[in-house]
Formats: sequence, structure tokens, C-alpha cells
Amino acid sequence: MKKVVLLALLIVLVVSVSLSAVTVSVSGWGNPTEEAALQEMMKVFNESQDEIEAVWEPIPDFNKQLKTMLSAGTAPDIFFVDVAWLDEFAGKNTLLPLDLYVRKENYNLDAFYKPLIDAFRYNDRLYGLPKDFSTLALYYNREIFDEYGIDYPDNSTTWEEFLTICTTFKEKGLETPLVLSADLNRVLPFVLSNGGRLVKEDLDTALTETQAKEAIRFYCDLVRKHEVAQEPLNLGADWIGDAFGKEKVALAMSGPWTLGFIRDQYPNVAEKTGIVEMPFKQERSTMIYTVSWSINRNTSHKDEAWKLLKFLSNEGQQIFVDRTGVLASRKTIAEKDTDALKEPFYNGAEYGTAWRVPTPSGNFQEANDQINSRLKDLFYGRITYEEAFEQIENNYMNWVEVE
Amino acid sequence: MIFKAKTREAMVGYLFAAPIILAVIAFEFYPVFAAVFYSFTKYQPLQVQQLNNTIVPEDTLSLNLMVFPDDEGLSVEELKESFDLRFFIETDVGITLNKSQKEALRYFETERLLKDFLAGRLKEEVTVKEFMGQYVVREKDEFMKYKPNLVGFGNFKKMMDDPYFWTSLKNTVVYTAIVVPIQTFLAVFLAVIANGNIRGKNFFKLVFFIPAITSSAAISMIFKLIYAKPGVLNRVIGTSVDWLQNPATALPAIMIMNIWTTSGYFMITYLAGLQNIPDTLFEAADIDGASFWQKFSRITLPLLRPQILFVSTMGIIGCMQVFDQIYFLIENMRNVTLAFYIYRNAFEYSKMGYASSIAMVLFAIILIITVLQRKFIKEEAYF
Repeated sequence: MKKVVLLALLIVLVVSVSLSAVTVSVSGWGNPTEEAALQEMMKVFNESQDEIEAVWEPIPDFNKQLKTMLSAGTAPDIFFVDVAWLDEFAGKNTLLPLDLYVRKENYNLDAFYKPLIDAFRYNDRLYGLPKDFSTLALYYNREIFDEYGIDYPDNSTTWEEFLTICTTFKEKGLETPLVLSADLNRVLPFVLSNGGRLVKEDLDTALTETQAKEAIRFYCDLVRKHEVAQEPLNLGADWIGDAFGKEKVALAMSGPWTLGFIRDQYPNVAEKTGIVEMPFKQERSTMIYTVSWSINRNTSHKDEAWKLLKFLSNEGQQIFVDRTGVLASRKTIAEKDTDALKEPFYNGAEYGTAWRVPTPSGNFQEANDQINSRLKDLFYGRITYEEAFEQIENNYMNWVEVE
Repeated sequence: MIFKAKTREAMVGYLFAAPIILAVIAFEFYPVFAAVFYSFTKYQPLQVQQLNNTIVPEDTLSLNLMVFPDDEGLSVEELKESFDLRFFIETDVGITLNKSQKEALRYFETERLLKDFLAGRLKEEVTVKEFMGQYVVREKDEFMKYKPNLVGFGNFKKMMDDPYFWTSLKNTVVYTAIVVPIQTFLAVFLAVIANGNIRGKNFFKLVFFIPAITSSAAISMIFKLIYAKPGVLNRVIGTSVDWLQNPATALPAIMIMNIWTTSGYFMITYLAGLQNIPDTLFEAADIDGASFWQKFSRITLPLLRPQILFVSTMGIIGCMQVFDQIYFLIENMRNVTLAFYIYRNAFEYSKMGYASSIAMVLFAIILIITVLQRKFIKEEAYF
């Protein structure tokens, strides 16, 4: 009798295992709204077919934990890759190239904004499809502008005009018209706009070339020389969007996440907010921040993962955009977005540069920390520009070398 | 029975202890020795799985050559011309080649691979390891397991020229040298007060101890607000300093916070020590007419010696490894400590080998200090 029961159990087990769908795990991070949207996406996908079971498994301290999981061979099948980390993840062969699928199925990559697709190419291979994106634009508070009788900035505002706006505010008695942070990625739009570049052909830094130096000087002088800008913490705010929402400043350069934040936390400020494209000099530029859906090279369900990936960056993206209000990377979904305030951000997708610095090791983090530390010193006059550039020039290759 | 009764008893004993012995080996000994090993290498965690990945060789070749085996008019010679073996292995098969692996590629039979490709014999999924084993005819061992590049003392030499290593070492030493004496004696002082006959002493014990049981993340966030430019501290003392952003004040600010947090905890240790001092000693001192300070310096302090040794040892170890407060509050690289610099290198800069070697230095420093301390301060009390 016992044996019969055991046998029956075994049969049930075998049958249920063989009938059950292939499980594809998906990981990333998100605030509660985004989490809910992601759950919803998985649910819709699972209901649409019964071969693949998509499971959302969030990872809180994402990059560090993902790296550990990848080295242990326990990473999820599909995960987010921030474009800033692409060189390292792709360079160490942890991501599956998608080119063959694209080619076999004639998958239409033109449906996405081109800079966003290019952002996830490495060595001529495509390592992910853009989930969504953000760009930087200039926020201004109409009420404060009206109060001081200053004309609003617009999409054609140049550096000089931008500086004039700030200094006029200061002359008319506004202590801090602008909020800035000592972050390289916020300085880069100025570097690129001035005709500068990130790295030379040999992957050494190009931040010490003339155009870049001018741009860094312009940015830091807003705090150091003209004293028209402050860091958020000095204004009693946690971050740039917080300072703008609390109306500590009239101007801020930030991404669409700030718009979502002030609509949520400071609805009255949102009503008097205007947004235009970044101030420019020689050419338009902005920073593109984007995250991809990428497939783990070590997954045992490559084809299923690709199927899910296609859903996530099409029907799934529609759900995500509807629920969270992020910018769509797929043009047909972006076209449905009628939010006028988001237009400058979408425009940025046409000419922006992805926040990704190629380095010999693939890892830019140390150089980023070191450069930011110097930007901060420049803000407060602790070192001279010459010292900062010399230090960056002399040490850069040590920061990005192959370990 | 084959074993003697005594042996059997020992075996049973070890069997019972096996779970903890295995756990200690797996989670203590192995990591320690692995870290020692990695400190002499350029270990790259992200490369560990490369040889275990699976590929369908046909697809991989199609991706590389941009042709499919059933395309018309393909010949091995033609394919060979446009085929870059090293790029193929590094990018599409997916191995970050080290020096000896690059050399072993001499033995890779490209022609056989391309023939098999055209004959459609590569449709089956294999691991990268198996694939390399099939087509590399000699020195296959190079491709069987991830071997971190050995660099000998390279990491330690690099440390000598790394200004941030020296900065973080200096910060750690200064931090320890200031925090440990203050927290040790402040805690004695608090303990004596809390042990005395004052009203509401349980209340004071509780208040002193609260920081010790609060999570350091929460404390850090509170101090972040206190130390901010528009924060409480500036308002109270009427300055306008950004305490945490300013490299000159950031470390002292964290020292004060740490002293405040840990003194209460160590106070408990001293309280236990104070209970052990016989009342008769104080009574005798009272009869002899000793003052409070005489009793404190001649009786209390000497008899608390074992506790002071314990607290200062734990304090030194804790301070040398200070991490969380730095992680939460410090933004300037000039104020980082060794433990934080190790973390940065390992998990953010992907320099695991270098991080391991700094960890070894930190370990050596703590070991030496503790050994010296135990040698020069005798632990036993007088009675």
C-alpha cells in the first residue's frame, strides 16, 4: 500500500513538473509605484501565454548584489543594466548579445530612439533594450521669475544668457537663484555643448582638453566665482528636486524624476514650473540616463528570456509608462505622451549622450568619485583649476586601469 | 566493534559538533584563506562564471560571421579570411583572455571549427569549457577553470603609491587614537555615576544605553540633520559650517558621534566590573578619610583594569574597522577610512584583489596592536 501511494506521489510530481511552464526570473529595482507596475507587467505576460512564467524578483542594493550573484552563477535570467555599468557587464561577458535574435526575426530596432539603442551597444553587439530613459533639462519657477521681473529662459537660452539670468537675480536680491551638485554627469552636458568629449581614442580622459576645461570652469564658477548657485544640502534640501520643490531656488537642472516628485509632493509648485532644454553653447547637448532589459549570458532559458524581453519592451513598456509616467524609449509609445512639460526631455533623446564613459577596465566608478571630489573642492575654492586638472590628468589612468 | 570505546566516544562527540565545525570552516576559515589568496591576485568576480556559460556554437559563429551555415556559396577559406579568432573568443564565446590563454589559442583548430559550422554539426548547446576543450588541442587546462591573474606583491606595491590608501590609513589611525581613549574613560565615568547613589540612576543607565541599541543607520541619519548647514548644531552655536561636507570638520564630527554612541555600551561592561569590587575596600577608605577622587583613582580604576583592557581592545578593533558611519555620512574621499576604502574597491571599483590586500594590511595592524596591548597591559586584577 505504502509503495502505491509513493508511486502515485512520484507520478504526480513528475507530471506537474513536466507540465509546468519555464520560469524566467526578472530583477531590478524600483519605488513602490514602479514595483506595482512591474508586477502588473509580469501578470499580463503570464496571462497572455502559458509556456513561460515570468517572476519579478526585486534586488534592493542592485549593482553590488547583482555582481555577487553573477559571480556565483545565481543571477536572474533578465535584469536591469544601468547604462553607466554597461561597459563592465558587457565587457566581462555577463550579458547575452541580442543581435542574432534581432537578425533572425528582423526585429525593428528603429522603433526606439537611436541614441538609446546605441547606448547599449558594446563591441558592435547589442546587450539590451532600453526600458525607459531620462534626460536633463532646465526647470524654472515662473512665480519667482515674475516676482523679480526677469524673462523666462527658453529652448534657445545660451550659457551667457543663463549666467545673466542668475546674476540678475542675485543683483535684485535673490541670494541663491540656482541649485547645483558636484556631479560629473551634470557637468558633462556643458562639456559636450562646448564641443568637448569624454575620452580620447586611447580611452584616456578628455576632460583636460581646452573645451572641457572651459565648461568645467563655467559650471564651477557658478558656485565659486559668481556665487549664484549652492549645493542642495546647503539649502536645507536632500537633493536638487527637493530644493526646487521647496522653492529655495528659481532654477534647477534635473531630469523628469523631479517633475514626478514635485507633482507628488509639492503640487502647488508643479503648477508654476516651466521646463526648457539645457542651456547650450556650440551645440545642443544633454545627458541620457537609461536602463536596459538585458539577458543573463548564463541563463538556461535564452529563447524564453528573449520572448519575455520583447514583451517587456513593447506591451510591457506601455503598462510601465502609463503607471509611472517615465519617458518611453519606444517612439510609438512616446508619441502617445501628451504631457507638454515632458517635451524638452523627449527632445533630448534625439541629441543627448548616454551617461557612460568607456574605460580600459569597464569600470568608471573610481574615476567618477575622484573627479566629483575635485569638483566639490573647486566649488569651495579648496584647490585651483590648474591643480584639479593636473591631478585628473596625472592620475586618471590609475583610476580606470584594468585591475 | 572496530573502534575502541574511547575513539567511538570521540567520534560521537565530533559528530555532534560537526555542524558548527563545518560552519566555521565554510564561513570563517575558507573566506579568510580565500582573502589571503586573492590579495596576491587580480581577482575579477564577474569573470568567474565565464567558462560555465553555455553557447550554441553555431549561433555564436553566425553572430560573429554574420552568415548562417545554410547560406549559399560559403567556403571555409572565405570564412577564414574574415574570421578573427581572438575577437570571436573574447566577445562571442565570452572569455576575458589572460596572457597564457592568449598563447594557448595557438592550438585552436579554426579550420575544423569552420568545417563543422558549414556541415551543421554545431547545433547542440555546450558549455564554453566543453567548447574550448573540443577545439583547443593542447593546453586545454587553460580553459577549464577561472584562474585569477597572480601578481605577487603587486597589490601591496600599488598601495605604496596610492594616496587614498595613505589618507584612509591616516584617518583610521587618527580616528582610533582619539576615539578610543575618550570613549574608554568617558564610559568609566558614566559607569561610576550610574553606579553611585543618585536619584533616578536607572533612568540615566537607560539614557546612556539607548544609543548602543539604536541602529547605526538611524543614528547616522539623525546626525546628518544635526550637522547639516541649516541644522540644529549651527543654530545652537551660531555658526554656519557644513560639518560633514568640510574635510576639516567631517572626521571630528563623526568621532564625536561615535563616542556618544559607544560610551553607553561600554558603560555596561564597567558596571559589571564595579559590582565585583568589594564594598569593604571603599568602607576601609572611608574610615581612613579618603576623598571621592582618591577612591576613584586608587581603588576603582586599578580594579577595573581587566574591563579597561577589554573595552580598549574592543574599541580599537571597532574603530580600526569603522565603516557604517563613514558609509552614511561621508562624501569626500579625503575623509574615508580603511574599511570603507576596502568596500569601495571591492564592490564599486571592481578591484577585489586590491581590496583583499588592503584588508590584509588592516588585519595585520589590528593583530599587532592587540598583541602588543596584551603583552604590556596585564589582565589580572590585584585581588
